[in-house]
Amino acid sequence: MPVFSFLNPAFLWALPVASIPVIIHLLSRRRLPEISFPTTRFLKALEPNEVRRLRLRELLLLLLRTLALLFLVLAFARPSLTPRGAVTHAAAAVGILVDDSASMTALDEQARPRIKGALARATALADAARAGDELYLARSTRPDDPETGRARDHVRLARALERLEPAPVAARLPEAARALRLALGRSALRERELYWITDFQRSNVTPEARAELAEAVRAGIRVTLLPVAQGRMPNHGFEAVDPEIRPGPEGRGLEVRARLANHADSPSDRLAIRIRRGDALVGGGDATLRAGEAKWISMPLEWSAARDSGGAPVVAESDEDAYALDDRWFAVLGAPRRLRVLRIAETRAGTPPARYASLALDPAGNGGSSFSVETSAPDALLSLSRAKHDAVLLDDVASLSGAAEARLRAFLREGGGLVAALGPHTDAEYYTRRLFPGLIPLAVDRVERAPEGGAFELRARLPGHVALEGLSVGVNSPLTQARLTGLMAGRAAPGAEVVVQTTGGLPLLVTAPSVAVFLSSLADDWGDLPYSGAFVPLVRGMVAHAARVGTAAGTAPRAGERPAVPLAEAPSGALYVRGPGGYSSPAAVETQGALYRAIADAPAPVPGFYVFDSGGRPVATAALNTDPIESDLDAVSADSLRAEVSATVTGGGGEVSVLSSRGALESHLRDTRRGREIWMTFLVGAALFLLGELALGSARVIRP
Amino acid sequence: MTQDRTRLLDPRFVSKLSRLDLKARLVVEGFLTGLHRSPYHGFSVEFAEHRQYMPGDPLRHLDWKVLAKSDRKYLKQYEEETNLRASLLVDTSASMGYGSAGITKLDYARQLAAALAYLMLTQNDAVGLFAFARSRGEHIPPRSTMGHLRPLLLLLEKLEPSGGTDFAASLHSLAERMTRRGLVVLFSDLLDEPDRIADAIHHFRHRKHEVLVFHILDPEELNFSFEREAVYVDSESGERVTTRPQELRGDYRARVGAWRDRLRQICIEKRADYVPLTTDQPYDRALLEYLSKRARLL
Repeated sequence: MPVFSFLNPAFLWALPVASIPVIIHLLSRRRLPEISFPTTRFLKALEPNEVRRLRLRELLLLLLRTLALLFLVLAFARPSLTPRGAVTHAAAAVGILVDDSASMTALDEQARPRIKGALARATALADAARAGDELYLARSTRPDDPETGRARDHVRLARALERLEPAPVAARLPEAARALRLALGRSALRERELYWITDFQRSNVTPEARAELAEAVRAGIRVTLLPVAQGRMPNHGFEAVDPEIRPGPEGRGLEVRARLANHADSPSDRLAIRIRRGDALVGGGDATLRAGEAKWISMPLEWSAARDSGGAPVVAESDEDAYALDDRWFAVLGAPRRLRVLRIAETRAGTPPARYASLALDPAGNGGSSFSVETSAPDALLSLSRAKHDAVLLDDVASLSGAAEARLRAFLREGGGLVAALGPHTDAEYYTRRLFPGLIPLAVDRVERAPEGGAFELRARLPGHVALEGLSVGVNSPLTQARLTGLMAGRAAPGAEVVVQTTGGLPLLVTAPSVAVFLSSLADDWGDLPYSGAFVPLVRGMVAHAARVGTAAGTAPRAGERPAVPLAEAPSGALYVRGPGGYSSPAAVETQGALYRAIADAPAPVPGFYVFDSGGRPVATAALNTDPIESDLDAVSADSLRAEVSATVTGGGGEVSVLSSRGALESHLRDTRRGREIWMTFLVGAALFLLGELALGSARVIRP
Repeated sequence: MTQDRTRLLDPRFVSKLSRLDLKARLVVEGFLTGLHRSPYHGFSVEFAEHRQYMPGDPLRHLDWKVLAKSDRKYLKQYEEETNLRASLLVDTSASMGYGSAGITKLDYARQLAAALAYLMLTQNDAVGLFAFARSRGEHIPPRSTMGHLRPLLLLLEKLEPSGGTDFAASLHSLAERMTRRGLVVLFSDLLDEPDRIADAIHHFRHRKHEVLVFHILDPEELNFSFEREAVYVDSESGERVTTRPQELRGDYRARVGAWRDRLRQICIEKRADYVPLTTDQPYDRALLEYLSKRARLL
C-alpha cells in the first residue's frame, strides 16, 4: 500500500475550515424561526416520506459542502502518495549503470542514438538526487574504472554524464553491475537503489548478468531496469573479412570474402558491399540474407596495386542502417596466395593411396584453385616448415613416429593447421592417447559400422562453421545424398566442436582451433562420399578452418583492446603505433614461437587502422573493429527479466521494477523522492463536490 | 353604499373596531342591507306594523284589506315569535389564537358569534354562548331579550385562546348539558380526530339538536404559503417540524383538503351543516348559511 503524506503540511492547520458548513448548519438550525402553526400535525404526517428525504438531502448538501472545503484545504497541503518502502526524505545510495557499449550508438524507435535516451535517464536520476545522496556511476564498457566505486554529488555526476560517450566496444554488464553492487554495499546509507540503463541486448544479458542482478536484489537493493529500446531493431553487419585473398573461380582473378550477418526477423534487402582501399573502390558485390542468417560472401577483387609488406588496409562497407558501426569493417588483406597443404598418405601393399582429397583441393594439380597440394609419406613431416606449408592433411595415416609428431606439434604452434581424416587403417589408440592430447579433446576407439542394409547420413550441426562455408545447410539438415557405411566412433569433450554428425548422433567432423578431425574416410572405403557434391567444399572447408585459424578474425584484437600484429621478424628499432583520432602509443614485442607479436601499450579507442612504425618506417598495420556481438540488437524483455529475477530471489530482498520510458522514470522519481502529488485529484474532487452541491441544492425533490 | 356594506362584512375591517356590540350591529346591518331582495327577511308571525309597499316586495304579505279600502298598497309586518334556541359554541383552544392575516381565528369566531347573536336577538331567537377549551369553559344560557346581548358580548370579548382542547370531550360534555333541543352553532377549527368529532356531532344530533358547524381556518393553514425554512410548532401538542414549506406545500394542501372533505362528509352523514370558512372571508356567507338553516328549521 502506498504511503499518504503531505508536502505542504502547514496548510493542514486550515483543516478546521472544513467544519464551517457544519457550524453554519448547526447555527442556522438553532436560529431557525419558530412558527406556531396549528396544523403542524399534517406536516408531521408527511415527515416519514418527504421530511426525511428533505433531511437526507440537507445532510447530503452538508456533506458535499464539508467535503468540498476539506478537499480544497487538502489540495493546498499538496497530498502525495509514496510507494511502499520508498524513502522520500532520507538519503540513499544510488547506483547508475549506463550502458555505453557500441550498440548504444544504434538508433532507437525515434531514430535517435540510444545513448541519448540513456543519458537523459541518467541525468533525470542526477537531477532527482537529494541532499546527502551518494551517487555511483558505472559504465558498462569500463567496469574496472576506478571512478565506478566513488561517490559523487549530483553536480559531478551531471558533469560526468555530459562527458560520457558511447565506446565502440562490447558491454560487460556483469562486471559493471558487480562493481556497482559492491560500491553500494560499502555505503553507510541504508537505502540503496540500483538503476540499469541499457538496451538489454540479448547477447549482453548473459547468465552472469542475470545472476548479478539477482545478487543485487538479494542484497536488499531496489533495482530498477530502464530499457532504452524495445524489441528487435533490424540490423545487418559485417562479422569478419577474410584477410586472405584467394584466386577467383577456376583460377581467374582474385576474390575476397566477407562474412555478413542479418540480425532481423525478416529477410534483408539486397545489400551492396563495397571494398575500398583508400578512396579507390577495389572490389564489391551484393547479397541477400535470410532472417537471422550469417554467411560468407565472395566478391571479385581488383588487385593491381603494389603489395605492401605490412598488408593492404581495406574497408568493407555495406548500406548503413540503424547501427552504423558494423556497416564498416577494417581489414588488412595479405598478399594473394594459395593455402599450401601437405597431404600425408601411406602406400599400402604397393597400392598408392586414393587421391580423392588431393583432387578435391587442387583438381587440376596445377595450383589453379586456392589450394596447392603436395602428397608425401609420413616421413616428410620431419622437414615440415611453416614457410612451405599452411596445413597438414593426415589422410588415413595409421600413426606417426615420435619425431614426426613432435615436428607436427611445432608446426601447429607456429600457426599451421592440421586436418586428420581417419579411416580403416587408423590406429585409434595412437590418435586418442598420443596425437590428440593437447591438440583437440577428442577420443576415438573403434570402427562403427552401419547396420546391415543401412547407412549413416551426414547432418550439419553447426551450419555457420568455417568448415561448412561452401555448403548451404541448416541445423541438422543433410549435407549430401551420400551415405557412410562406417566411421570411427568418437567422443568429443568440451573444447571441441562437433560440426557434422551422423543420423545416430555420432560425431563425424570435430574441430578445435587449427585442428579438424574427420572421423571417417576421405576415400571410398566407407561409402560414396567422395562422389558427392558436398565432398569438395567439405574438404576445402576443413583445410580452410585448420589453416586459417591462426590468422582469422577470431583472434584479432577488437576496438577497446590493445592493437597487436604478428611480425615475421624482430623490428630493428622501437615500435610506435599511430591510429585514428590522434591515437599514438609505444608498442612492445613478444615472441610467439618462431614469430613475433607487436602489441601497443594503449587500447585502441575506436575502430580503424593502427600502423606500427619502427624507426619511422611502417612495419605492420592492425585493423581493429567493433565486437560483432554488439550487432544483434535483439533485446531481452525487461519485464521477463524482472519476473525471472523475482522468481529466483525468494524471501526478503529488494525489489525489481521496470520503467520503460523516460516519462515513467521521472514519474517514478517524483513518486519515490517526493511522492506522487495528487493535489489535482483533490482539487477536481472539491470542484465536483461543489458542482454536486449546486446541482442538489437547486434541484427540486423529485416526487414519485 | 355597496362599498360600505362590503367593508362592514370584512373581518379585517370589523376587527379594527373596538366595541364588539358595534361590530355585531355593523355586521348585521351591513348584511341585512344586502338582503334587500333576498328571501331571508325577519318576518315574525305576529303583526307589528304596516309598511308602504315597494316594488319587488312579495305580494304574500300585501294587506289586501287596506288595499281594498284605500287603494293603497301596504305590507303587513310581523314580529316573529320563535321557538328557536341557538347555542353558540366557541372553541377557545390555543390553536384558535392563530392568525396570519391580522385576525385570529378566535377573533373571527368572536365577531361572527357576536353578529349572529345580534341577528338572532333581533329576530327574537334565544341565544346562549358556550366557550370551551380544556375545561368545561364558561357559558351563558340562551335568552331572547335584547338585554341578553350585553353579557354575551362581554363574554365573547373576554375569550382568550389557551391550551389544548379535548375537543370531542368538551362537545360531549356540552351535549349532555344542553337539555332543550335547539340550534347548535359551532365555531371551531376542528383540530381533532375526525372520528371523535363525528361522535360529538352525533351526540348533539342524538339530542335532537340542529347543528351548524363553522369550520374556521386561517388562509395560511389552507395554503401553507410560507417561504422560509422554519421550525413549525404545534400550538397545542407542541410537536415540532423543521421544514422548507416549498418542499411540502403540495402534499400539505392535499392532506388538508382531504381532511376538510372528510369533515364535510362527516357532517353530511350526521345531517349537520358544514360551513368552511377562512378568516379572510366576509361574514355574509356565514350569516347566509345561518339564515338558510333557520329558514329550514322554522
